[in-house]
Amino acid sequence: MSQSLRPYLTAVRFSLQAALTLSNFSSQVVERHNRPEVEVEHTSAELLFAPMHISRNEHEQVLIEPSVNSVRVSIKVKQADEIEQILVHKFTRFLEQRAEAFYVLRRVPVQGFSISFLITNRHTETMSGAKLVDFIIEFMEEVDKEISEMKLFLNARARFVAEAYLGEFVY
Amino acid sequence: MSQSIVANFKLVKGPIYSHCFSQDKRLLAITFGTDCLVYALKAQGAPVLVATLPDHDKIVTAVDISVHGRIVTCSQDRNAIVWEPISDGSYKPTLVLLRINRAATTVKWAANGYKFAVGSSARIIAVCYYEQENDWWVSKHIKKPIKSTISTVAWHENGILLACGGTDGYVRVFSGFVKGLDSKAQAAGSPWGDKFPFGALVHEWYHGAWIQDVEWRSSLEKLAYVAHDGSLNVTDSTGARFSTFSPEGLPFLALTWINDHEILCGGYSCHPVLFTEGSKGWQFSANLDKAGPQPKSPSTAGSAGNEDSSEDLPFGLSALQKFKQLDLKGKVTTSVQDTTHENAIAGLAPFKSTNGSVTEVSSCGLDGKIIIYRV
Amino acid sequence: MEDWRRIDIDAFDPDSGRLTLEDMRPPYGSHVSLQELQPKISQLRSAAASGDFKTAVQIAMSDPPYSADDATKFQYLLAVLEVLTQVRQHDISTILGQLSLEQQDVLVKYLYKCMSIPEGQKQGGILLSWFEKLTQEFGVGPIVRYLSDKNTV
Repeated sequence: MSQSLRPYLTAVRFSLQAALTLSNFSSQVVERHNRPEVEVEHTSAELLFAPMHISRNEHEQVLIEPSVNSVRVSIKVKQADEIEQILVHKFTRFLEQRAEAFYVLRRVPVQGFSISFLITNRHTETMSGAKLVDFIIEFMEEVDKEISEMKLFLNARARFVAEAYLGEFVY
Repeated sequence: MSQSIVANFKLVKGPIYSHCFSQDKRLLAITFGTDCLVYALKAQGAPVLVATLPDHDKIVTAVDISVHGRIVTCSQDRNAIVWEPISDGSYKPTLVLLRINRAATTVKWAANGYKFAVGSSARIIAVCYYEQENDWWVSKHIKKPIKSTISTVAWHENGILLACGGTDGYVRVFSGFVKGLDSKAQAAGSPWGDKFPFGALVHEWYHGAWIQDVEWRSSLEKLAYVAHDGSLNVTDSTGARFSTFSPEGLPFLALTWINDHEILCGGYSCHPVLFTEGSKGWQFSANLDKAGPQPKSPSTAGSAGNEDSSEDLPFGLSALQKFKQLDLKGKVTTSVQDTTHENAIAGLAPFKSTNGSVTEVSSCGLDGKIIIYRV
Repeated sequence: MEDWRRIDIDAFDPDSGRLTLEDMRPPYGSHVSLQELQPKISQLRSAAASGDFKTAVQIAMSDPPYSADDATKFQYLLAVLEVLTQVRQHDISTILGQLSLEQQDVLVKYLYKCMSIPEGQKQGGILLSWFEKLTQEFGVGPIVRYLSDKNTV
């Protein structure tokens, strides 16, 4: 499994490295505003880069949308069955509600993805770029692990509950 | 610290977008947030803060000092201010009538110090000069055919030709001839043309990627620029262009000419890179301030052997950890910083030169450092 | 009634100076049509069928149909995808070694593009190993150039 995970993460790592070349850029549309251009994409096409789509299969994808002063990274976490869907939804929602603690997390994921990050020039200026990339990569590794662990726990719990409950009927 | 570093000052906690030394190299002005800070350089130790220029209310994007010691700052609050030094060491601000309604992004004095150009997000370059009768700095606009934000401007030494580049992917040369201030003799015999009415487009090149910095080599009538695709390009009045790419791939943000055949670039790779013009054109020649040869790719197995990032773990575990990391991330995380700048280099400027060749170069970075390199 | 508060009035102002995606397309002299491209696609397929992947990749990566319309580009993309996925893992490095700078840039474009369509996502593994070999060989440079290149595939 890790055999094919490595190229996936390498691709994300290199793409992020290239995308995290941000500069402080004041809006050329609205006076005295300085906003992430990737979030206002219908105004200045020249400020957006070509989006990068990296996919391991239909269920695991990363979309990196870079612009002059911000990068949006959206991750589609593997969801094999309905339980995983629910778990991923709960998990990402938990994180998104605490988005300010994570600095780069976006409160709402991009359509079609499980979770999105928004990295702006403020972040690359105050944090080390390499560490930001590491954070995203680590998140991608951990989230898969976390979800499958939660699924195991859930199943174990369900079995235990079922046994305890149904045990009443066993003579 | 590596051999090529002369001085390393960590001045502020925050990005420095632009820096400038005064003519005699005694004063240093840097941008910091909404202020411009002026430091006095000491023979020993760190520079001492002598003045804070606080009048802007948005991020200061650029600063420049004229030959007469006047400081001009421009900011995302749409203004530029000229700071006149007064005898007690403080500065008297004068607002410039820029007449732009978006951020000012870059500012440069012309070599004679009587006018300067301001690039802006309003797709305008304002050429500003002092008007005696009104006691004001007024501006004239260059508008056409700029299509996007101007991110860099550079004056030719003759004070007339003005090169600019921006996010529309064009490098353009305009005439910045101001009637009553400039004389036609300044540009006599220029290979770029014979007549330079104000605002005329003298030459343009389409590059595609954003232009991050342009710089003239006036004696050769050549123009060098760096773009966001990681390229360094050198061109002249015939339009012939020579491109070469950053060896590490990451784009450059700044460049400076060392001599007629050498250019130093700096950018997102956090250390300056020297390019030399040889028989085969411009080519990469050396990295400054960079420890040893890097492994070609982080995922090659060879890089595992020389890393000791997890020394605190017991032996067996640390080995396991290493292989796990190598396997999962394709990279061993390193906390070792191999360059003195910890973030991208935002600006480069010649610091010392002998016989027309620059020997020391100063740089400012997004990590709040000013570093002087020996070339 | 239309939500007039949300109407983007600047879009109707011809002097707004705003650039759209259309403006970003580099000026092309002529437009390649599907008929003109068909011989190249069949050439690609035959090279791949005879097992000569080196030539196939070389052909695919030189002079891609930048100026064609989207449907034509898509046909070409499918042909390229077919070639890329047929190459065996250990042949990738040798093929990469013979690509010129421009061909590398084109390859990066096709890899990203392939991974964004469902047909390519099924083959994610092989595309990712192309990508990995490419970054091993040439570093981050081709990706940086991909970002600001306005010629799309």
